[in-house]
Amino acid sequence: MRRLLTVAAAAGAAILVKRALGRRVERSPLWPMPALPEPVSGVEREAPRGFVLGVAERTTPAEGVVMLRLTGDRGALPDWEPGAHIDVVLPSGLVRQYSLCGDPAEADTYTIATRLVPDGRGGSKEVHEQLYEATEVEVRGPRNRFPLVDAPAYLFLAGGIGITPLLPMVRAAAAAGLPWRLVYGGRSRATMPFLPELAALAASSGGPADERLLVVPEDEAGLPDLAAALAGTPRDAAVYCCGPDPLMDAVGELCAERPPGGGLHLERFSPGPAARPAAAGETSFEVELRRTGRTVQVGADTTVLAAIRAQALPNLPYSCEQGFCGTCQQTVLAGEIDHRDELLTDGERGDSMLICVSRARGGNLVLDL
Amino acid sequence: MSNKAAEKPAPATAEDTTRVELRARDVSFDWSATPLHWIPGDPSTTHTINVLHLLLPAGERWFVHVYKQALPLIRDESLRADVIGFIGQEAVHSRAHDDVLPRLRALGLDPTPYTAQVDWMFEKLLGDRTFPPGRARRWWLLERVALIAAIEHYTAFLGDWVLGAEALDRRGADPVMLDLLRWHGAEEVEHRSVAFDLFTHLDGDYRRRARTWAVAFGALVFLWQRGVRFFMENDPLLDDGRASVREFVRGGRQGVLPTTGAILRSIPGYLGRGYHPSKEGDLARAVAYLASSPGANGRAPDRATATDAVRTDATDTAAARTAAAPNHRKGV
Repeated sequence: MRRLLTVAAAAGAAILVKRALGRRVERSPLWPMPALPEPVSGVEREAPRGFVLGVAERTTPAEGVVMLRLTGDRGALPDWEPGAHIDVVLPSGLVRQYSLCGDPAEADTYTIATRLVPDGRGGSKEVHEQLYEATEVEVRGPRNRFPLVDAPAYLFLAGGIGITPLLPMVRAAAAAGLPWRLVYGGRSRATMPFLPELAALAASSGGPADERLLVVPEDEAGLPDLAAALAGTPRDAAVYCCGPDPLMDAVGELCAERPPGGGLHLERFSPGPAARPAAAGETSFEVELRRTGRTVQVGADTTVLAAIRAQALPNLPYSCEQGFCGTCQQTVLAGEIDHRDELLTDGERGDSMLICVSRARGGNLVLDL
Repeated sequence: MSNKAAEKPAPATAEDTTRVELRARDVSFDWSATPLHWIPGDPSTTHTINVLHLLLPAGERWFVHVYKQALPLIRDESLRADVIGFIGQEAVHSRAHDDVLPRLRALGLDPTPYTAQVDWMFEKLLGDRTFPPGRARRWWLLERVALIAAIEHYTAFLGDWVLGAEALDRRGADPVMLDLLRWHGAEEVEHRSVAFDLFTHLDGDYRRRARTWAVAFGALVFLWQRGVRFFMENDPLLDDGRASVREFVRGGRQGVLPTTGAILRSIPGYLGRGYHPSKEGDLARAVAYLASSPGANGRAPDRATATDAVRTDATDTAAARTAAAPNHRKGV
């Protein structure tokens, strides 16, 4: 009898324990472990992925050129600065990059312009044939690989549709009251967009308007005299050039002989590592490692990661070297960052960078290393 | 397309000619069409596999965290290159699984109560400050490196299993989820030796290997059992969901889960004196899968800059598929 009671008591206790445990596990799946107050896993990353915009207006500012104003239904779009571009996912899935040529102050609209290239790779054809009012496209970005640096004067050299990233720069220089000059080449006046607006900007910027703006249609005046344009520019000016490859190569050669004080800045139509030599358009800068107490030089042809590993910290962790794994993320204490990765969220971009691909914008950087 | 990692000469040693150079792959998976029970009609198996999404985001982030600290201790250049490739692969794995969690939440199964506790385990309990600086902390780093080697034995085991689990295809499992699991599994098979080699390089003590194996195996059983239970009890589509051992054994018999026997047989494998991970798993099959995985090839590595990203890549993928197909069949 006593044995029976003991067994019953033990069984009862076991049932009570199981129930109590069950209740705890129901409330806390990994009981007795506590939870991290601010969970890290499963938090949706508001990564700068794509968003859908609609074509609000389609116009033809010149022969063979279509201009699209893209707007979303959520109001203000991410900010951008002159020189920025967006990736547009076309209906076929092709991804193309287009410079923003509207007004950065117009917060709810991105404006792009494309020239039809009938024998091109299909992107411009799709824009011209398929994107009409109310068409929706996915847009990523904006990103800026062609930022306008501070300089006492500017020389802009545009070839054809290469005017698109330069137009907001011209507006910015004019608004800031800085001396600027634009040499704008194209096949004929009829094919060159934005001529009236540029003429108005030149007229309102003071000084003789033809000093500011030199329009060179090939059928009237041949190719622009780049050497003369560069020679007539102040030594400390920044030179910005966007257009077809022969134009860019010619400017590159002229500037190699007599480097402009504000630097030469190139934007090619077809970026990508194969088309663009690593050093083209890149600048060198310094990175201070605050905790290590060292400063490293980052040349135009190397990365922040490679420079730090070679000159100061050989064991710095990294992996993919292409800006997607996130291993080399470092905290930035000071300096403006030119983000070139697609991983970090806007929040993370404020004070950190992936040093395998991203660089300094203009000045130098201070890292918490 | 530039694959900077691929330009580096592949490290090769005399005794191991099958060595592959490790590099992280940029992947993308679209979860918008994946249903809650992504193995149709089999919630129990679905959730048993779903536990991976609860453990791996925090777990693989922790691997990366620990290995970053181990990097300066490595005195072998080819092992260092492997560890660097390993770190990138694990970082991408962690994020790829993490991206599934918002989808589960959107389908009415919020994983946060569980993942917040897993986060605590990896960030705090297994974090850096569990032991004071100095010798204790060095011991703790070695202990964690050994734990990772033991866990990697199981990730390679599971990876090799999922690459050959044709029953999942026959059951009509969600193709995107299968691609995630097989891409991940294939990379686990691809880098199966790295964690064990690092442990051997830094320490290699057999008692530590056995001790950390016991801890890792016990923890995995505990976490998995609680994870399946959590999912089954909170699944909005199940009235009276319950995890059971019988369902697990059934899954093994049907080929949609590893068999209990195979799991038990893996134990003496890791504890054997002559164990080396390069003897486990089918590397050729893994490499063939990686060449054909839509998620790992569907996006140009240089999508940030290549204007013709989509088109170039589509051709590459097709070429890779053609190249990989014969191997793949042979492997399976």
